[in-house]
Amino acid sequence: MRLIPDGTRYYPPQDEAWRERLSSQLEQVLHGWGYDPVQTPSLEVFNPTHPLADKGFKLVDRDGTVLMLRGEYTTSVANLVQTLPQPTYPVRLRYTGTLWVRTRDAELGRQREYTQVGAELLGVATPLADAEILFLALECLDAVGFPKAAVEIGHPGFVKAVLEATNLEPTEIALLRTAVHRKNASELHGLLEQYQVQGQTRQAVLRLIDLYGDVGVLEEAAEIAISDAAKAALEEVRAVAALLPPERFLFDLGIARGLDYYTGMIFQAYTPDFGQPLCGGGRYNAGLPAVGFSVGLERLMTALGEAPSLETAIAISTSLAAAQGLRAKGQRVIQAWTHDQAQLEAAAQAWGVPYLILEKQTIRLSDGATVQLEDL
Amino acid sequence: MNSKPTAHSSQLTAQSSKLTLAIPSGERSKAFALRTLRQAGLEIPELEDSRSLRFEFPDVTLLLVKDPDVPVYVDVGVADCGVVGKDWILESGRDNYEPVDLGGNQYRFSLITLAQEKPRIERVATKYPRATRDFLQKLGMAADVIPLNGKIELAALTGLADAIVDIVETGRTLKENGLIEKQVLLELSTRFIVNRAALKLKAQRLRNFIHALENNAKS
Repeated sequence: MRLIPDGTRYYPPQDEAWRERLSSQLEQVLHGWGYDPVQTPSLEVFNPTHPLADKGFKLVDRDGTVLMLRGEYTTSVANLVQTLPQPTYPVRLRYTGTLWVRTRDAELGRQREYTQVGAELLGVATPLADAEILFLALECLDAVGFPKAAVEIGHPGFVKAVLEATNLEPTEIALLRTAVHRKNASELHGLLEQYQVQGQTRQAVLRLIDLYGDVGVLEEAAEIAISDAAKAALEEVRAVAALLPPERFLFDLGIARGLDYYTGMIFQAYTPDFGQPLCGGGRYNAGLPAVGFSVGLERLMTALGEAPSLETAIAISTSLAAAQGLRAKGQRVIQAWTHDQAQLEAAAQAWGVPYLILEKQTIRLSDGATVQLEDL
Repeated sequence: MNSKPTAHSSQLTAQSSKLTLAIPSGERSKAFALRTLRQAGLEIPELEDSRSLRFEFPDVTLLLVKDPDVPVYVDVGVADCGVVGKDWILESGRDNYEPVDLGGNQYRFSLITLAQEKPRIERVATKYPRATRDFLQKLGMAADVIPLNGKIELAALTGLADAIVDIVETGRTLKENGLIEKQVLLELSTRFIVNRAALKLKAQRLRNFIHALENNAKS
């Protein structure tokens, strides 16, 4: 029997303390921007139309209802909002919790059980709201140690509009979409040839795959905004871009994922020399307009590398009163479990604890000197 | 390597642009990959004949891996980009960019049967189970897929399977064994693939390199 399932892992103290710290650093940022915490059930009623329906872990409830382990937060947070009595919009919510994806391969930066911290800004659709989420995402990454992270913004509505301007069948458009998503120039050429897409439309579709870079790409995109829908999508991106400082934002108007889910801008953040996105999000509609993003904590840990050392205690104490006094001042103190001083000293050395507090004196273990308790 | 700033350069994309490439370790595909990369301006000295798996050069790091593993190294981001056959791209199901068709060896995915065809195809043997399942589904064929690791022809000859799906180059091995190429499923070639984050963060360098590869592939 396997000890634990694929794509799950044990978190020993050093790793778990680190994960907790990252989580609270992110929550601190979100708290500062006015986001309130919520939680949703880990067990959800299985819904075949859910975006992750095929990918989730399923269980059977006692009455035979099929349940699914929570695979993402956005849907259920939006449902939660609908149950609030007369909220004043926009509503700002944040969440932290475990997610499960059955079908994912366990590999570098990817687990089947992982922890997500995220935020949703619901009930508003303005460029300012989009920009808020983008700033927030970047500030979260700064807070946990990614000062060089860059956010890349796209708009699936733009790709969709340009592809629909070909007036091809949905199955043909789906193949073009895949080629655009993979920036597969030769396949895109082949398909356009086969479908006899000509002229301006052909040029527009071909140029989709090269529309990545800094804010300058928005000007290029304007040249191929061949329909009103494409112009509208591009205008949305421009309105948001106008609110952002250019240094840390990139654009790709050829992003073609989530065409049927996202209703506005979409983004991912990258950091140099790490090949996976650190966070992602975008604008969607879940009964009400909303924009949000989320961060996977274990992915952050993989990108950051080494776990920081555990915080050591300042002392081991045989005196409860002395220890309580230090704890009240915010110090970390370990209670003695024996009166055998040699044993306590050995443990203190192993843990890197600098002081030993005995009933009558306090010893600095590095040189054996007696010090005043008040000096700790 | 041309490092002249393009219209889209920024500080973001200028940093750390040394490239890590995953290329196939097999002699023939390795030779093609190295030749193509060098022609496009990548400075790769002669690889010393050794059992090294990784080669560090000033401008580039090369990882020599098995063909099916190239898309994996690129997808998780251990490599920025790679050179690999379309067959292994399909089989991997990995979400990489695939910007350049490098040409090279022309070959194809085919459905192959005995010359004396079985009335029904119920089992199909292959080195490419994922790609084969997709083909069978598109063809509307309800057959089981039997994953094997090589010498696939033998599966059809011995009756282990009723047909095989494999890559075909000249078709000579098939003929010699009394097999026929019943249907060409897809024309294949060698591709340049790129990690999604790398294309954006090393945009300036990769965009130039992709254009150089494209120009050479056309000529």
